[in-house]
Amino acid sequence: MESILQNPPVKSSTRARSISWKFIIGAVVLLGVIIFVMYNSFQSNTVYYYTIPELNAQRAQLAGQTIRVNGALDKSSIQNDQKNLVLQFNIVEDNLVLPVVYHGVAPDTMGTGESVVAEGKLDGNGVFQANSILVKCPSKYEESQVQ
Amino acid sequence: MALAQIAEVGNLTLALGLAVSVYVIVAALFSQFKQRGEFFASAKHGIYVVAALATLAVAILEWALITHQFRFEYVANHVSSDQPLLYTISALWGGQEGSLLFWVWLLSLFGAAVLIQHLGQRNHLIPWVIAFIAFTEAFFFSLLIFISGPFVLLAQTPVEGIGLNPLLQDPGMFIHPVTQYLGYVGFTVPFAFALAALVSGDLGYDWIRTTRRWALFAWLFLSLGLLFGMRWAYVELGWGGYWGWDPVENAALIPWLTGTAYLHSVMIQEKRGMLKVWNLVLIMLTFLLSILGTFITRSGVIQSVHAFGVSSMGPLFLAYIAAVLLVFAYLLYLRLDKLQEENRLDSLWSREATFLLNNLIFLGAAVATLWGTIFPMISEIVVGKQITVAAPFFNQVNGPIFLALVLLMGVCTLIGWRRASPQHLVRNFLPPFAVSIVTAVVLFVGGLYDVYGLIAFAASAFVLTTVFLEFFRGTRARMRMYKENVAVAHVQLVNKNRRRYGGYIVHIGVMLAVIGIVGSSFFQSSLQQNLAPGEEATLGPYTIQFQKLLMTRESNAQVIGADLIVFENGKQIDTMRPQKAYYPAADQMTTEVAVRTTARDDLYLILAGWNDDGSATLKVIINPLVVWLWIGFIVFIIGTLVTMLPDPREAKARARVRAERVLVSA
Repeated sequence: MESILQNPPVKSSTRARSISWKFIIGAVVLLGVIIFVMYNSFQSNTVYYYTIPELNAQRAQLAGQTIRVNGALDKSSIQNDQKNLVLQFNIVEDNLVLPVVYHGVAPDTMGTGESVVAEGKLDGNGVFQANSILVKCPSKYEESQVQ
Repeated sequence: MALAQIAEVGNLTLALGLAVSVYVIVAALFSQFKQRGEFFASAKHGIYVVAALATLAVAILEWALITHQFRFEYVANHVSSDQPLLYTISALWGGQEGSLLFWVWLLSLFGAAVLIQHLGQRNHLIPWVIAFIAFTEAFFFSLLIFISGPFVLLAQTPVEGIGLNPLLQDPGMFIHPVTQYLGYVGFTVPFAFALAALVSGDLGYDWIRTTRRWALFAWLFLSLGLLFGMRWAYVELGWGGYWGWDPVENAALIPWLTGTAYLHSVMIQEKRGMLKVWNLVLIMLTFLLSILGTFITRSGVIQSVHAFGVSSMGPLFLAYIAAVLLVFAYLLYLRLDKLQEENRLDSLWSREATFLLNNLIFLGAAVATLWGTIFPMISEIVVGKQITVAAPFFNQVNGPIFLALVLLMGVCTLIGWRRASPQHLVRNFLPPFAVSIVTAVVLFVGGLYDVYGLIAFAASAFVLTTVFLEFFRGTRARMRMYKENVAVAHVQLVNKNRRRYGGYIVHIGVMLAVIGIVGSSFFQSSLQQNLAPGEEATLGPYTIQFQKLLMTRESNAQVIGADLIVFENGKQIDTMRPQKAYYPAADQMTTEVAVRTTARDDLYLILAGWNDDGSATLKVIINPLVVWLWIGFIVFIIGTLVTMLPDPREAKARARVRAERVLVSA
């Protein structure tokens, strides 16, 4: 482990310079690959956010696409079939009601939730088939997510 | 003293903290520009005063929490009287205001620690260092004073508080934020020294040597933060995994990635006098990403659907980050002529080249993760519509990146500094390569057909073999040379070169963690089933028999559990009880999973629901090899601690530098 002081700078040679160039080219190629993978994967993994009125207006185009939608939770509509783990509820905005179905364990915060963000697809019957839901609770920024 | 006066004292403490921090900046800068030593002495006192003030503020808030002063808004929101004392104490860092106060408190202590560390030494970087620390303290005090104060009083005293979010009432969550913050805040010190080096123009290896232990300390605690966070998610959130590419998780991972790159690349500057600009940029990125991480975690800005009220902090954080970035870029530009590389890359087949590659890949992972994390925020600003990035993005991008890093970890160990000869390379590569092929073949014959799984396990075998060979060769050499026995030779090998072999121990830890991650992410299996009392469910080798539902009461919760008997291959091995707890004060339910861990797999049970007929719905998950993730983390931490131990060679180098300084000044 020599210190820098004992190790005087080496004069740069043409050879060293060509190695630097090789390395830079390698680095650019590597970054290119990373960016390509990012770009490719990004296309298929971005999910757009819609409000219920927006979803209602564009329901024909959006049917079958994975999207996110959020709305106020209508607590009286919650039906939790704990035997088969089917959770059904309605979310509401501007008097528009969107029924949501989620197959899985109901989030612990469901009973106290104020609004819900659901990710999934709108099916042919106008029911939103969620594959994940996120319940937001009143006056707290802590939230819980199930996937 | 009346409560209102105590709150006043709290607010006054914060105001004084801000005032003294600003004074320290002015005095430290003045002492440098006007060559006035007495101002430097006064600035140093200021750093201690800020530490005392921040400590007082923390003490007041902690007192209010422990004695349930519900008139304090912060107390009412984060404590209830039936909550265990442990979580009343940890409520200090359970909410936004408290955790910002906690941040500045840690920084003020670190500032004082830096001064104590350099007591009696003349280090011309210190004035600039404390000026920057004071600047950052002033920023956080401003947030506490102008945006969200911890000492706000309610108009009326509520009878009872809301209590800490029950999800956070877990020993893991007691410790996780502390370690995370120690890591985030810790990176302020190396960055402050980097800035000081830029200002002073003394851009050798000195600033890195001085802060080597600080950087390792911060990095160690970021790692611990990740460990406790993942462990908490695994046992407390109850969805069967430990990592979900949630923005808050990413915010902790990104500075860890750039910090890891930094710890590797400074070795090149130390040994070869290269990568000077790169190291400065990396520590700057790590520090600013720590600040960004604090912001993302505390404001909840990315998860929120609509911009929250809290994001009024956003512009201030952005302004701080922009200011630091601008000053840094300007200084870097000024000093470019002093940042000439002392050496050039000799060969692409050298350890330097693999380190550079490692840096690029770490940075690539950091950029990809950051992009996916802040994209919802960017899209909302640019197109006015929030577009989120789903978890598969992170897996698809980071999966190959991390695999490349694992391979590089093996290759790097095999390649010498400067230039490796082809014969040397072949001789070194052959044994580990053979082991990895054998591993893949054995696993394939054993019935493992997943391509990614095979590649990942083969790569792990490759790296582990290279590290074991390093230990083997070193130990054998010592046994021959010093006639030591195996155990002594091992200990002495590590002891005589703590940094190198500590690093290898870290690598072993990483590989064990990789095995755990690969096992649990590629080979997880699960099932959901409704069971009446006496009925059974079977998954893999395990059969679970449901006995009955059981209600119990804890101090602040009502608990319902499912009594289960577990059989493995028909033989009874254990009883387990997954539970749900209801916290009336917070009106919230939490899932308490039951986990049975072996070296082979975790049996992970969730009580998903129960019915009036006495039946229970269970979710059963088998997570193969996941225990190796936690074991790997522990090995990793031990290795990091070894690298932090005082190094005899380093002490010698430092003494030499000091002697040279004396010569120069004489």
